[in-house]
Amino acid sequence: MTRFSRRSFLKSTAGAAAAAGLTNLAAPALITSARAAGTVKLGCLFSSSGTMANIEGRLNHVVRMAADEINAAGGVNGSTIEVVTSDPASDWPLYAQIGRQMLQQEKVSALFGCWTSVSRKSVLPVVEQADGLLFYPLHFEGDENSKNVVYVNSPPASSVLPAVDYLMSDEGVTAKRFFMLGSDYVWPRTINKQLKGYFTSKGIPETAWKEEYVPLGFSNFQTLVNQIRAFADEPGGQPVVILTTVGSSIPDFFREFINQGIKATDVPVLGLDVVEADLEGLDTAPLVGHLNCWAYLQKAAGPANEKFLKDWAGYVDAKKVPFKADVVIDPMVSAYDSVHLWALAANKAGSFEVPQVRSAFDGITFDCPSGYKLKMTAENNYVYRGVFIGSVNEAQGFDILWQSEDTPKPIPFSQY
Amino acid sequence: MKTLFADRSFAALIALCAVAAIVIALSGGTSMLSPYMVNAIGQLATFAILAVSLDLIWGYLGILSLGHGLFFAIGGYVAAMHLLKHSYEITGIVPDFMQFMGWQEFPLYWAGLSNAPYALLLALGVTAFVAFVFGYVSFRSKVGGVYFAIISQALVYVAMLLMFRNDTGFGGNNGMTGFSLVFGWPAGQPGTLVGMAVVSIIVLIAVLIGCRLLVTSRTGRMMVAARDDEVRLRSLGYGTLWLKLAIWCLSAVIAAIAGILYVPQVGIINPRVLSPELSLEIAVWVAVGGRGYLTGAVIGALAVNALKFWLSAAAPEVWPFILSGLVVLIVLVFPNGLLDLAGLKWKPRLLASLGGAK
Amino acid sequence: MFMIRPLILGWLFAMAFAAGASAQDLGRADLVARLCGNAAATGDAGSRILAGAGQPDAAELPWMETVISALLDRRLKCAADPAQSVVEGDGAVRSAVTLEPASVPDLSKVPVLNLRSRAILELAQSALRLRIGATPTIRRQALAALGRKAASVPVEVFEQAAAGESDAGLKAEIESTAQISALNSPDISKRISAVERLASTPNRRVQTQIAALQADPAYTSDETFRLTVDAALARVGQGILIGDVLSTLYNGLSFASILFMAAIGLSVIFGLMGVINLAQGELIMIGAYVTWLTQEALKSIAPGIADYYLLIAVVPAFLVTAGIGVLLEAAILRHLYKRPLMSLLATWAISLFLINLVRVTFGTQNLQFLTPFYITGGVPVVGDFIVTWNRLFAIAFAAITLALTWLVVNRTGLGLNIRAVTQNRDMAGCIGIPTRKIDMMAFGLGSGLAGLAGLSLSPIYNVNPQMGGNFIIDSFMVVVLGGVGTIGGTLVAALGVGQINVLIEPLWGAVAAKVIVLFLIIAFLQWRPEGLFTAKGRRR
Repeated sequence: MTRFSRRSFLKSTAGAAAAAGLTNLAAPALITSARAAGTVKLGCLFSSSGTMANIEGRLNHVVRMAADEINAAGGVNGSTIEVVTSDPASDWPLYAQIGRQMLQQEKVSALFGCWTSVSRKSVLPVVEQADGLLFYPLHFEGDENSKNVVYVNSPPASSVLPAVDYLMSDEGVTAKRFFMLGSDYVWPRTINKQLKGYFTSKGIPETAWKEEYVPLGFSNFQTLVNQIRAFADEPGGQPVVILTTVGSSIPDFFREFINQGIKATDVPVLGLDVVEADLEGLDTAPLVGHLNCWAYLQKAAGPANEKFLKDWAGYVDAKKVPFKADVVIDPMVSAYDSVHLWALAANKAGSFEVPQVRSAFDGITFDCPSGYKLKMTAENNYVYRGVFIGSVNEAQGFDILWQSEDTPKPIPFSQY
Repeated sequence: MKTLFADRSFAALIALCAVAAIVIALSGGTSMLSPYMVNAIGQLATFAILAVSLDLIWGYLGILSLGHGLFFAIGGYVAAMHLLKHSYEITGIVPDFMQFMGWQEFPLYWAGLSNAPYALLLALGVTAFVAFVFGYVSFRSKVGGVYFAIISQALVYVAMLLMFRNDTGFGGNNGMTGFSLVFGWPAGQPGTLVGMAVVSIIVLIAVLIGCRLLVTSRTGRMMVAARDDEVRLRSLGYGTLWLKLAIWCLSAVIAAIAGILYVPQVGIINPRVLSPELSLEIAVWVAVGGRGYLTGAVIGALAVNALKFWLSAAAPEVWPFILSGLVVLIVLVFPNGLLDLAGLKWKPRLLASLGGAK
Repeated sequence: MFMIRPLILGWLFAMAFAAGASAQDLGRADLVARLCGNAAATGDAGSRILAGAGQPDAAELPWMETVISALLDRRLKCAADPAQSVVEGDGAVRSAVTLEPASVPDLSKVPVLNLRSRAILELAQSALRLRIGATPTIRRQALAALGRKAASVPVEVFEQAAAGESDAGLKAEIESTAQISALNSPDISKRISAVERLASTPNRRVQTQIAALQADPAYTSDETFRLTVDAALARVGQGILIGDVLSTLYNGLSFASILFMAAIGLSVIFGLMGVINLAQGELIMIGAYVTWLTQEALKSIAPGIADYYLLIAVVPAFLVTAGIGVLLEAAILRHLYKRPLMSLLATWAISLFLINLVRVTFGTQNLQFLTPFYITGGVPVVGDFIVTWNRLFAIAFAAITLALTWLVVNRTGLGLNIRAVTQNRDMAGCIGIPTRKIDMMAFGLGSGLAGLAGLSLSPIYNVNPQMGGNFIIDSFMVVVLGGVGTIGGTLVAALGVGQINVLIEPLWGAVAAKVIVLFLIIAFLQWRPEGLFTAKGRRR
């Protein structure tokens, strides 16, 4: 990539502006702050408006909090971190646009961002072309392994499959039949594809599962819950619902589920994308017992988590963050981990250049609030981390029902 | 030629575009002009083409389409399909959506799309067909005005819902991305970006000149007459159905061309381009710039988008407020958009129009 | 629904008999230790208690009920020594073993139940409540819960409960439910009555249960049994069919009521002024926010009646949104009546502004609403048809709104003026109707109706700044289809669109339903460009 000194850069943008007559584009505010000596920039790509804002918005603040923490401890390589935030407005091409702007104009050393696979896929070509580094804090469908993306959260083989195993075990509910209900996009489709392969490998017949997709933002689940009831009443063994809807479709689904009187002991729901924030507006007493699985749950034991919860509450209070001080969800912790992992690698490399930072990933470890020790290897940009299965409780949170003994090896490409 | 450049602001705009194209062609991608800027200018040029296409029917024919994103998307999708298919044939990389759908082969309707002329023909053909059918049923039953606007919005909305589905074979919510080759050149390289930007600007110039010729012709006068009083025009013995239909289809095709140029530059297409908000925003560009003036459409598209690029990074919180305030201001005080403001078209009519120009 | 397999069933009964012998010896401490133990031990304790619930001697049952309820409600705090474990509740802390007052031990934990233990414990709890519940209502609820899984409840539970039941009606119900337990008994006549009893409440679960009997040896060997099973299956099938038809109608009606509420305000405004109000969805959203604010205010001022916020908020929701509507009309839309396309853009800008204003003020998270008792759950009617109260609330609310709007438009002076202006603005102006004022009032009315829509939708949808966008296109379609400015048209169009959506959805999915409805509407407009019902008079 071409690089610029500040002077030649300003000249070129001014030239471009004159040429195209774009008075407004001449000096975007993003590039007005010069790169002062002793600071290093990190970019955030999290929407604070649009459909994903409700949950995605809080990650901007977490990244800031982590950066403050590192700065307070002396910064990275002697530089202080400056966090640049933006608002891609839940608009996927805008993620690519702003990502490009961050990397090429703003010269950020790493990007932290994206919530759905769609947004990641749209930023992917940008970071690959610019050889940037994107930390992606969400669990996702796997089947992707770019050297320019750090997959901080778990691929399905080390999160979803253990949870399904648990449901199929006698300790779980001896699940025999599966109703897979998802939003219609790549993550649910891929998860369900892998699950079907997994079921087949376990000798479960094709008649024992059913797959349904709803559009993103779908809210009227009346007919689908009717279908689930009909499915559950058919013979063949214990039914479970594997829910991969996202966003507002999660509480809408649960609301209808409650109203039709289905309990977790009748048909348990394994909500793969369900977090505390999704239960915020619900009376969870009739939902007690439904499951989710993540690499972090708020009830995780250990001093690291206590500290994180306290820090976040303090940060919310001090900075008047418009999110709840007492709700912490997995992607927040993953975003927090991301900043620390990057700082560790940059410190180890003694550089902010992407190739150096990348090669420094091998062997770094970090004590995650989840209580596990995160680990990265030279093999890929995936992170070793633990798995939790949570059970909904009355207080709109999750109790830990099961957790993995250690951190399973992340497997990027599913065999199913 | 005389009528073409009689309007000084139009001549200035064409000259400016030409200069921009030459500057980019000469110094783009070098240290003079960053690839990022070249790319941004190229994208803006496609937006300008899109705005001109809407202005042609809204400004000159009085038909507001809140579904122009549909035609933009058809062009974009076919272009993306061509790029993917072409990249696949050269590099053997299987597109994402086929991987997660578990498909081994391309769906039938992808056949032959690696051939660029065929893809171009298909994009324009499909666009013209869709526009014709929708326009025919609407104009024939004299659905117009607000009705037409709302139904066209509903059309783009259901198109979005359809494209969100993965089993349609167009990539679903993810859309299509990861083009490694753009018409044979490696994607994302400065040279390719410069090429695409220059082509976009040249197409913009061509579209502007073509539209200018059209609206200053006899047909153009018919269009304005149909806009201002369709009933009277029909009473005078002029049929308006085919006039409206022809211009409507032309406008749709221009929007599709914008889409074809847009996708290789932004590197992704997905159903979001079909969201009713985007289609509405096109109308906002035109309204801001000045409806019924080709110059205005271009200026509006450039100004609003430049403002958006800038503010969505610099002050994301205030951007929606500024946009909504801007629209209300334009609608109430400057019915001819920025052209009023800039004094390019300042006339006593401005004050009168406050009361209620059409 | 919860199909405990024969294997588990057998194990359960074995446990029951084993426990039966030693239930009296089984110390309370031992049981508490098990309840506090790992998942297997908890489940084990649950089945012991379930078996114990069938014991003639009811002396230990109240204690069991107390402890098990505490465990299910997370009020049981376990210590390493079971004797130190405590039960919290009713403002007191009591020893889990003796139920004497005690203090919370230093190191205590609340056990997390897995689904298997939870299912057994809930069953055991219902069995205990059936025996010793203080009121017939409690016992009846317990029986209903047991009835759904009657085959996995020891028959002794029903026998003992029936023997001890003082309420004659309930006693008969218990005996009737107990028959189901005999579905697999060796006595063929008991089986036949079990099948008949099952078939009296037809649904898919029962169908599966009875259909399984066709593979039973008795089905081929015993003529009467076969005929009973076949007749029962036919009866159940019929019941399911009726249930499904009713359920489809109900779902359609429920969707139609949502569409109607979202569209009626729009219809009034569009009919009168030819203005499409793109901010209508945001007025709905504001109505929902006002409802929430009312709830919050009630919670702090008068917590006793906070449950009735949905009824109380009717007035503020209407007034606030109507006020906003009047304001918008006077400030902006008034100047745009001759330019309907510009008013379209202006209302879009307003909607953008309102969304972001609410976002900045309240944040983007979903609002938390109380779910009052009158919109919680539902009642099974026939087959698999459940009438859910929240949908019924929305339907009733829509019906009342319809009636009131009709009254306002057809029976008041304002309504007369609105109709006059809708039909012929110039003429109405000539005969002295203040058209400007009528416009403002009507815009206020339409906006207020949107506010009411927000109120009635708040129990069904998530309330957040973006919620308005969900309704806008659907409600436009209803207005366009129904014809401009007619209440009847809006109603018929809402019912039609709602029903068609619900009919298509199970076949091809929700998206196809929307696509087909749109094409139907476009096709329909070829035939009647002005919509189903047209207001008489000249259109502008």
